[in-house]
Amino acid sequence: MTARPEALPTQEMTINMGPQHPSTHGVLRVILTTDGEVVTRAVPDVGYLHLGLEKIAERLNYSQFMPFTDRLDYLAGMNCNCAWAWAVEKLAKIEAPERAEYLRVIVSELNRISSHLISFGSFTADMGAFTPFLYGIREREKVNDLFEMLCGQRLTYNYARIGGVSGDAPPGFLEKTREFLDYFEPKIDEYNNLISYNKIFVQRLANVAVISAEEAVAYGLTGPNLRGSGVAFDLRKDEPYSVYPKFDFNVCVGSGERGQLGDCFDRYMVRINEMRESVKILRQAVDQIPEGPVMAKVPRVFKPPVGEVYFRAENPRGENGYYLVSDGSANPYRAKIRAGSFVTMNIFEKVTRGLLIADIVAVIGSFDIILPEIDR
Amino acid sequence: MGLKEYLNDIVEAVVTTAKGMRITARYGLDPKEETTLQYPEERWELPERYRGFLHNDINTCISCNMCVKTCPMDCISLEAVRGADKKMVLASYDINIGRCMYCGLCVEVCPPKSLKHSLGYEMASVNREQLILRFVQEDASEVKARVARQVAEAAAKAESPAAGKPAPPAKGETKE
Amino acid sequence: MEALAISLIKAVPFLGAVPVWAVALVLMVAVAAVVLAFALTFEGVGSLVLRKVAGDIQVRIGPNRVGPNGVLQFLADGVKLILKEDLTPASADRPLFKMAPYFVFVGSFAGFVVVPFGVGLIAADLNIGVYYVMAVSSLVVIGILLAGWSSNNKWALLGGMRGAAQIISYEIPVGLALIPAVMIAGSLSLQDIVRSQGGLWGIFGWNLFHNPFTFFSFFLYFTAAQAETNQTPFDLPEAESELVSGYNVEYSGIRFGYFFLAEFGDMFVVAALTTALFLGGWNIPFFHAETLPWIWGNLLSLGVFLGKAFTIVLIMMWVRWTLPRIRVDQLMRLSWKYLIPLTFFNLLGVSLWLLVFNGKGIPAMIASLFG
Repeated sequence: MTARPEALPTQEMTINMGPQHPSTHGVLRVILTTDGEVVTRAVPDVGYLHLGLEKIAERLNYSQFMPFTDRLDYLAGMNCNCAWAWAVEKLAKIEAPERAEYLRVIVSELNRISSHLISFGSFTADMGAFTPFLYGIREREKVNDLFEMLCGQRLTYNYARIGGVSGDAPPGFLEKTREFLDYFEPKIDEYNNLISYNKIFVQRLANVAVISAEEAVAYGLTGPNLRGSGVAFDLRKDEPYSVYPKFDFNVCVGSGERGQLGDCFDRYMVRINEMRESVKILRQAVDQIPEGPVMAKVPRVFKPPVGEVYFRAENPRGENGYYLVSDGSANPYRAKIRAGSFVTMNIFEKVTRGLLIADIVAVIGSFDIILPEIDR
Repeated sequence: MGLKEYLNDIVEAVVTTAKGMRITARYGLDPKEETTLQYPEERWELPERYRGFLHNDINTCISCNMCVKTCPMDCISLEAVRGADKKMVLASYDINIGRCMYCGLCVEVCPPKSLKHSLGYEMASVNREQLILRFVQEDASEVKARVARQVAEAAAKAESPAAGKPAPPAKGETKE
Repeated sequence: MEALAISLIKAVPFLGAVPVWAVALVLMVAVAAVVLAFALTFEGVGSLVLRKVAGDIQVRIGPNRVGPNGVLQFLADGVKLILKEDLTPASADRPLFKMAPYFVFVGSFAGFVVVPFGVGLIAADLNIGVYYVMAVSSLVVIGILLAGWSSNNKWALLGGMRGAAQIISYEIPVGLALIPAVMIAGSLSLQDIVRSQGGLWGIFGWNLFHNPFTFFSFFLYFTAAQAETNQTPFDLPEAESELVSGYNVEYSGIRFGYFFLAEFGDMFVVAALTTALFLGGWNIPFFHAETLPWIWGNLLSLGVFLGKAFTIVLIMMWVRWTLPRIRVDQLMRLSWKYLIPLTFFNLLGVSLWLLVFNGKGIPAMIASLFG
């Protein structure tokens, strides 16, 4: 800022962005201190959507908590479901049947696609283009149809169970998944033509809120936000769980193709490219899925041994970790939930300094936050 | 910024805009691409596994309380009394749809499979009372009184031929 | 209008006692009412069409519940806007807050005065028509700034400031992009400009095809005018995903309705100017509207003019539902670094062209080659 003459005293303006604002993706409140359009400080104020999930987990038994994980990240309920199941299985040393693991991977990747579609759509809507949002929703509806066929719900799936999944794939499910993949893959190119490489869109995102690789690691970013900074860290590859080692896929990282490495555009493109990789995984999983049971023998009154465990899975919004402490009873003694969005908010204040108000919206969109994950 | 970059910027803006507009025009002109379902007139076909409102077939329900215990939201309340034939008789079976989150855990644990998800998903009410689905039509106290009478009658019948036997407990009641 | 009044007094005997200015005033009010009726109708139907176009592009259906296929939706919206409570925030600057919508509406509606709808259909054929439109459309700035300031809301203030900066900077490229058409016609009157494009079967006489510079001028004007009237992708003063709803965030009821109508009014004025200045206005392809009997000539030319203008409006809607919103600093850069130099360059090009080729356009030269 250039120095102003003394005769014109100016003062900074504090603006309350949210909790009810169209582009804070829910009830995030950001306290902006601005000098005109330039944001000198943006402090996120979280907690407007506190669900008390960790306390709920202590009061319910392991399988009863499963439906609540849908609410943790309501756009990727399947991923959270499966992560909880994997965490509890790791605690109780149960092995789910292979077909169940395949089904979990299939639903996780389908849900990753649908979550990234919403991310893509809401991000473009934040940037002022509403049409791509509707296109994203259209494709997501098809994923929801598949899920509805599989588990009977479109948003709160509650599909995974401790020791397996709630139901085998109904007849026609795998074929319909293949059909969806064939339908969906060309759409990604269409999105790129429609909006991704649009000059205005690129200009809005390139070189905005650059996070260097060191910073991203230091602040504990995970998932696409970390990979957008060029760090090829993907739990599916680096800490493989379930049947992920059997699939051939690439870890998408930001390349700084339109600006500096780690800007909003890189984070956005990582998500677009990850949808392609998910399609790749899904094709392999649908082809390789073995026959067999989908549920292991788990006692009805399920009491894991005394112990503690930390399990983390790669969710669309980064690492979704569950730290479980068992005292041998049917309820967890403590369940700590680590969610990607919450950790991402740490770096928010740092990267938004000196940006414009319009960029704040871009940063929130590029982080792809979801509020129940932030407030839990 | 060189002149080449300057012109490049302009060309890129025009080309990418044209590309995007071609796609929107294609969807705009093609009436077949409309995906909206005109809801009250048109409905999509619900899959077999659809988890709609819960429905309990009280004729096959054995009042085992499994669903009550497994429900994370405590939305099911069940009252049953032991009938004359030693079987449990449902006095009331209420599901608070306002609290239910349709997770389906209760359906999975139901031993006689009497509790099921129906395909219903439409309900609107102006008060919360209407959100409670009551599956036993009779009033709970009436059922209890009737069952108690039957038990007493049965006990009286049982007592008259074989007086020496100790009478069974007249009323076994389980509550949530 | 005065000449019309005098001829009317001469034609109708019992008006002899009425002073000329009174007849002229009545006539003016009548014409204003007709134009206002047209403007309001267009604004209503325009909002419906905008939503229908959005529906088509976004693989939806759009409004279809009120009336057959939703055609009465705009009436329902209008009734809703009129019936809704007109809230004034407690801490607002009341007189300014109440005044602001009128400035915006008047600014957009006054532009209709010089729109050449047909051969003889123009409310006032001002000899400074182009200049006048530029001037009155700047009135919108005052309204937007007032609305933003008086609402006492920080989002509204930001929207108002953005609007002021944007509209003022885009006046320049808009003006510069219009000048080629003015130079070719040698007049600022919109009717004269339209008439100058009548030759060569009514299509190749268009300023659009006059020479390469006017061709670019058309696109430059279209872009700059979109920005000047706050249409997407330049709808920064509103920017619902950033500034919630920008300068009109505190407005409700019919006062919001004025902003809403002004937006569509601006849309039409821009489309009408584009048509008049570059697309031959009311010139009917392949024959001259002036040679027809008065009524038929006017009706036909009105139809042609509206057809062209509505096509431009549709293109504006199409752009609106495709592009993302530009950022505020990039908006300024686009104006000062791209549009203004390019329009200057164009202006220079057109001037040189007119000088070198003695005012002849490419189609005219080709036509003269073939005799």
